[in-house]
Amino acid sequence: MPYVNSRKGGFLARSLPFWLLAPALLFIVFVQLYPGLYTFYLSLNNIDAGTRKYVGLQNFGRVFGGAAFRESLVHTAVFLIGFVTLTLLAGFIVALVLNRKMKLSQLYITLIFIPWVLSDVVVGYVWKLYVDPGAGLLSQFFSSPLFGLGGSPLLIASPPPQISPDIPFPPAPAMLYLICAAAWKALPFTTLLLLAALQTVPQEIVESSRIDGATSMNSFRFIILPLILPTILVALFNLTLSGMNGIGMVFSLTGGGPGSATEVLSYLLYIIGFSRLDFGQAAALSTFIFAINLILIAVSLRASRSRADLV
Amino acid sequence: MATPTLATRTPAQSQRKYAAQKSATNIAANIAAIIVCFIMVFPVFSTLVLSFKQQVDVVRTPPQLFPCDTPTEAFNLSACRFFTEGYQRILDLAPKPGTLFGVELRGRIINTYLPNTIFYATFGALFVTVLAGAASYAFSRYEFRGKRLLLIGILAITGIPLLTNLLALYQIVVDFRKATLPLFNQLVTGGQISKDTAGTLRDWQDRIVLIFIYIGFFLPLSIWIVKGFFDAIPRELEEAAFIDGATPFQALTQVITPLAAPGLVAAFLLTFVSIWNEFITNYLIVGTSKQALRSVIVGVFDLTGSNLINYQVLAAACVLVMLPVVLVFLFARRTFFQAMVEGAVKG
Repeated sequence: MPYVNSRKGGFLARSLPFWLLAPALLFIVFVQLYPGLYTFYLSLNNIDAGTRKYVGLQNFGRVFGGAAFRESLVHTAVFLIGFVTLTLLAGFIVALVLNRKMKLSQLYITLIFIPWVLSDVVVGYVWKLYVDPGAGLLSQFFSSPLFGLGGSPLLIASPPPQISPDIPFPPAPAMLYLICAAAWKALPFTTLLLLAALQTVPQEIVESSRIDGATSMNSFRFIILPLILPTILVALFNLTLSGMNGIGMVFSLTGGGPGSATEVLSYLLYIIGFSRLDFGQAAALSTFIFAINLILIAVSLRASRSRADLV
Repeated sequence: MATPTLATRTPAQSQRKYAAQKSATNIAANIAAIIVCFIMVFPVFSTLVLSFKQQVDVVRTPPQLFPCDTPTEAFNLSACRFFTEGYQRILDLAPKPGTLFGVELRGRIINTYLPNTIFYATFGALFVTVLAGAASYAFSRYEFRGKRLLLIGILAITGIPLLTNLLALYQIVVDFRKATLPLFNQLVTGGQISKDTAGTLRDWQDRIVLIFIYIGFFLPLSIWIVKGFFDAIPRELEEAAFIDGATPFQALTQVITPLAAPGLVAAFLLTFVSIWNEFITNYLIVGTSKQALRSVIVGVFDLTGSNLINYQVLAAACVLVMLPVVLVFLFARRTFFQAMVEGAVKG
């Protein structure tokens, strides 16, 4: 039963919620749901010069069997592990720092948020100009022996020799740049998410535990951490999701290179679909990424009970 | 004296110790916060400085932040060599008598891609705001079957990135172009419109399709944001309006909308910035085939396609593209933060 008194007015007023919702839902269906299903349909076809031929799961076989796919799977894993760990850790530390009552908190948060508002492509270029072997101010820092890279100009260097041909390790240093740039951009939002969670922790409990003699480590571990664990999980899945699908930075910072060292799944999708124009295979890869996204979203929704409660 | 153990420490002692610790860590926290701010802002700042350098100072080894050193001094403010060469190359000003300022902007980023982007972002954000406002009002104020499922579905969709849909969207756009081509050809052969007009109309068709895609993509998040604002408005206000004889539609437009204005502004700004920054859709749908429809981000990306690009030019382009959104963010930061709390943190 509608909450508002919808007996007033005619048919139009009674069906108001439907008319309010319909336009928005139409857009969502046309841009998000239908293309999703259409991608799956395309993946079952061989598309050549505009003609489509049903080939069943062949495209999936061809994608999954390819060396490029396996390689980019590893690249994606390396990127995600580095990116998510770095962003979560850094975001958590920054959130803990900002959780204190400081006079300039607002200013700090505003300044920290500037990278968030920039385009992925611009972030890639800002970092390219920052670490470029010729002109970048950070190039000296990153080519120091600290990173074990022997002072080579990293962005243009070919990947270092591999330990074993089966393991594409160590990852090319360009990957390190990609991770840093992505973490730099994702840090503000992650910080805000964690900060909001930290601020829901009642200060009196923490203070009284400290006054009772608990060390800061203990009150953190036994009071704060359990309370914000759901948010950490949400941040973890969100970062994984955005990391999986981020592509603008790869375009502008590394272009997938050197060689194919930073070719992550999303970039491989672009290469297969729009560079090699093999739409069937690209659709298969797209479906695969889509499935991973769905799993991540489902787990994320589950992890945040509070979200479900709000509905 | 050894530090008192838990058992021997009086509450007063413990409290004093805690208070002392607190003020010491506050100073440390401020220092830490300043370091973090520096890390976050410095890359942007160094890009800004780089955009004002000349070629000789850009390729110096080791790289210098400021081009302000003299043979005798490391830093001398009066010796700074700042140039606007990078910006001049992007703007590509040419004298043209008879126009307002006597010059013509020949840089495509400014004279073509920037108006395109403003058009996409403004209309995309406008439609998203109106549609999200309507939908979230229904979600906030009505009970209907499947509401919970729809809301969770919309929340789930906010997580789905455009990337995996782009392949199909590209196919759909290509098919759509093919389907409407005979119509335009017919109009041209029939003499109703000229060939040029047909070309313009087909361009507009692509622009509208692009905005459609943006609307569908950015709607779900905006619905969640605006719903949060609607939920915060007490229902008694509408009830009072109903008692005064208002219809639900009147209550929405005249009572609720003005109160939810901050939420609607937040949805507008967030969508505006997102479309401004969007790259891959514009690049794939129109960027490669129709240069005249590119957005600024695609324009900046295209700069590096020609290998002759100088860093100060690239930096200048980046500054020009990020300046508007950074300014929008700085002026409306409260709105942005509120929107984020409603849409992502709480949602």
